[in-house]
Amino acid sequence: MSRYHVVVDGKEFDVEVNYRSEQYEVSVNGRALRVQSHRLGESRSLLLVDNQSLEVDVRANGEGCKIVFMKGMEVPASVEDYNLAQIRKTAGFKSGPSVESAFRAPMPGLVIDVRVQPGQKVKRGDPLLVIEAMKMENIIKAKADAVVKVTHVSSGRSVEKGDLLLEFE
Amino acid sequence: MRKSVKKILIANRGEIAVRVMRACRDLDITSVAVYSECDKTAYHVRMSDEAVYVGNSPSTESYLVHDHIIGAAKKTHADAIHPGYGFLAENPEFAQRCTDEGLIFIGPKPETIRLLGDKLQARALALKAGLTVIPGADIDSQDAGEALRMARDIGFPVLVKAAAGGGGKGMRVVESEDLFAEALTSASSEAASSFGDGRVFIERYLTKPRHIEIQILCDQHGNCVHLSERECSIQRRHQKVIEESPSPVVTPELRERIGRAAVNIARMSGYVGAGTVEFLVDENLSFYFLEVNTRLQVEHPVTEMVSGLDLVKEQIAIAEGKKLSIRQEDVALRGHAIECRIYAEDPSEGFVPSTGKLMNYRPPSGPGVRIDSGVVIFSDIPIYYDPIMVKLVVWGQDRAEAISRTKRALEEFRISGVKTTIGFHRVIMDNERFVNGELSTGFLEQEYPDNNYRLFSDDLVEKAAIAAALDTFVRERRITVGNGKRHRSVASSWTDFYRRSNLRSFGGSR
Repeated sequence: MSRYHVVVDGKEFDVEVNYRSEQYEVSVNGRALRVQSHRLGESRSLLLVDNQSLEVDVRANGEGCKIVFMKGMEVPASVEDYNLAQIRKTAGFKSGPSVESAFRAPMPGLVIDVRVQPGQKVKRGDPLLVIEAMKMENIIKAKADAVVKVTHVSSGRSVEKGDLLLEFE
Repeated sequence: MRKSVKKILIANRGEIAVRVMRACRDLDITSVAVYSECDKTAYHVRMSDEAVYVGNSPSTESYLVHDHIIGAAKKTHADAIHPGYGFLAENPEFAQRCTDEGLIFIGPKPETIRLLGDKLQARALALKAGLTVIPGADIDSQDAGEALRMARDIGFPVLVKAAAGGGGKGMRVVESEDLFAEALTSASSEAASSFGDGRVFIERYLTKPRHIEIQILCDQHGNCVHLSERECSIQRRHQKVIEESPSPVVTPELRERIGRAAVNIARMSGYVGAGTVEFLVDENLSFYFLEVNTRLQVEHPVTEMVSGLDLVKEQIAIAEGKKLSIRQEDVALRGHAIECRIYAEDPSEGFVPSTGKLMNYRPPSGPGVRIDSGVVIFSDIPIYYDPIMVKLVVWGQDRAEAISRTKRALEEFRISGVKTTIGFHRVIMDNERFVNGELSTGFLEQEYPDNNYRLFSDDLVEKAAIAAALDTFVRERRITVGNGKRHRSVASSWTDFYRRSNLRSFGGSR
């Protein structure tokens, strides 16, 4: 049996999984479910969750992070060993995704405007940069409260996806 | 003698290129695709009969280069060019060049494109045709004092708009007098840098307008009909995202009046081909002329679904010099159609474009569903072009059926690898105001300030948690899912043993 701490869309789930006689016994926050899983391809499977049919494509997205594609949507999930998560929580580490110190380009494009300076405090939702891609100006906003440490780009520069744009303290 | 078109070059890419190719095939016309560097294996190239390389990935070096497009048409002996929408579709110089080179440009005459492309001239023409325009004035931005006096006459709030504008550029809403001077200067400079033309004009800003437009078809013999309206009030940053036909508020009587107004301005401009006359409609159902789009619109399929006509086939017939096959009294509306423009954008991150490869792609089908797609599985979504990926067009007996079918179809999509706006559309289909047909161009800003769309339902979130946990479990245990095969390693070592023993019988040297 394995027990996981799963976070999806800010909601926490305690999920236990056991495999017995060709079926998964899953318990979600203490509620028992019977799940059958049929592989459809590399990362795609058909799940029957208490007979509810669900086609999913689950892809890894870095350590402990998964992207679940279902019903035409892309749902990010983080999965962690339940016990480790408990230890981490009692030890007082921040739960859930923390602010990454490196901020990389979410898409390739042209930097039109850099709205922040080193040392500047930003709040979640504050505009950081404006990048033109696909003929549209995209305002890139802060995902969390943070302090800008370094800006690596200036306006007029074209960037590739994954290029380092900013660093936070 | 009528010219008969045998081969059409489609000067576009993505879903619209594929759409035009389908009409060509229906008419037994050979289609020629053009493609840029990054579009070498794009879906529109695969769907074409012939294809010509036209340059590097940026559209300014490929799809927009007149010489490259004309050269491709000459090389393949195409007799007509269909521009689709965007790119060269509303470029009078390109249309003129086609004519000069002996190619049929599938669209209006160059002078019509030029006339209607200038918002000030189009507005003057609308007034001459007896249409109501939004109270406003053509202003000289050099004289700020005079401009302010005119703005006062019109009444605040006012909208400052670029004469050569489009797509929201050079456009400012001015709530009060003190903000007017600055808005005027910035709109004018933005217009100058975007369009090379700093002329602006001001209009009264309608507070809760609907965007309603009329599809028109005019042949070369002076016949002109309208194919009813489309409502496109669901807009994000002045870009339409959901369109429908008919509009929930347009009565047969209003339809006849707006339709007649659209036909009037089309006639006065000497219009030939398919076009769209756009209006804003206020809360009292008064309608004001906005502009004429001299091309096939992105949202043309909703009209096709309710009218039963194929607009691309009509465009080709008109270009061949044929008379319209329908009269106004033959135009009948059947049912209701909704289009969702599905973009490669992330609705949870302020709609930033998402690029990459489609690792899985299965569009919906079934009753009432039409898919106009520019992609297939493993397609790359490049950064260079408009991020529209696929259009979902749904037909129902009435609006309620169209909405429920749209919900069903959206959930049927299987897409992975690229973020899309499918979840956003699904949210709108449940919005009470949308369901009640209470629309206005400010709908999204009013209903979802700060893009606060709740994309995932509780049930969806829980199922995703189960799927993620299960995936982790399987990978940790290396259990082959399904088929009851618990230990694939055992099965495969038997296979290996079998193979090795076979090889041994050949001497084992290979």
